[in-house]
Amino acid sequence: MKRKDAIETIFSTIDDSDITVSTTGLISREVFSKFDSPRNIYIPGSMGLVSSIGLSLALCNSGKKIFVIDGDASLLMNLGSLVTIGTYKPNNFFHIVLDNGAYGSCSEEKSLSSSANFAKIAKDVGFNTVFEVQDENELKSAIVSDSLCPIFVHAKIELGGRRDFSRPLDLPGIKERFMSFLLNNNIRRQKYDISRRKNV
Amino acid sequence: METNKGEANPVFNDLSKSGNQKAGRLHQSLKRHGVNFATGVPCGVLCHIINNLVNDKSIMHVLANRESEAVGISAGAYLSGKCPVVYMQNSGLFASSNDIASLLIPYKMPILFVVTYRGCEGEDAVQHFVTGRATEKLLESFGVDFFVYEKQDINDLVNEIFNRMNIAYLPSFLLLKRGWNK
Repeated sequence: MKRKDAIETIFSTIDDSDITVSTTGLISREVFSKFDSPRNIYIPGSMGLVSSIGLSLALCNSGKKIFVIDGDASLLMNLGSLVTIGTYKPNNFFHIVLDNGAYGSCSEEKSLSSSANFAKIAKDVGFNTVFEVQDENELKSAIVSDSLCPIFVHAKIELGGRRDFSRPLDLPGIKERFMSFLLNNNIRRQKYDISRRKNV
Repeated sequence: METNKGEANPVFNDLSKSGNQKAGRLHQSLKRHGVNFATGVPCGVLCHIINNLVNDKSIMHVLANRESEAVGISAGAYLSGKCPVVYMQNSGLFASSNDIASLLIPYKMPILFVVTYRGCEGEDAVQHFVTGRATEKLLESFGVDFFVYEKQDINDLVNEIFNRMNIAYLPSFLLLKRGWNK
């Protein structure tokens, strides 16, 4: 599975109302170029923080599913965040790590991910479900599984792929439309909940 | 850098967290401005502030292992419509400085930081000397507002911080020296 295949599988599997937070470098740039949407937030700087941002998004938006799209070197920069996520156990949190064993967005220098059994670490610190996936079908099954969150998905991908994607540049604009998306969707959901309650 | 060498060190990190009037006033001021989310890494100087945040059921409090993580957690809370406060020591301000500069500032997120100002006059711990000297310069170079608490009215100061933060739309920093609440 290539990075492209993993990202396309994620976006063809999740619902339109699900939230994605993607990590620094080519992962965010590929998502931005191909699947830009108000429900996405990109983390072009502050490498490693995508999991922490996803955690509080999950805790503050309990009615929405949050998909963190992380990288192996990025996760290693903020490995402690797994302990925090495992402590708070948000029941709407999916942590997908695309592991190409390298700093793919730099010059593909080797990372230390081959020494880290991410799935075992995630399980040990309190993730309720962990998956190790090798191909698109396994990745899809992990995303749609009814297993208990927080869910950790370690997805092995090949090194390489396109490098010429455009960058998300208008960050205040991306922030505004993301916040509006959350606000409108949460309000819509509440209205839906209220109307459903009346019918019952 | 002056130190209080030769004098008995005053105890700034005693564990008594019983009601502190100034910390209580700061807490009420923060709440008046809508603060309903807190995250950070502890510093002994902030013990009363943290205790108030922890014990306030109307504030969602998420612990962080390191200051960078707290910056990320505060960003997700802000994006969710919460009004977060982040607490840390200035050592952690340096540790998380890239995250403030590359996440909160370019995304224009007005988030209040309550930061202990170690390494200023009277400091006895050598590990704080360099960061103490550089703290205000770091924040100046980031182009963000910061406020050193010098016994002015804490409520007025918090009002000023929020007024300016809501115009600048950038993170803002309240620096508290040891003994700020005496």
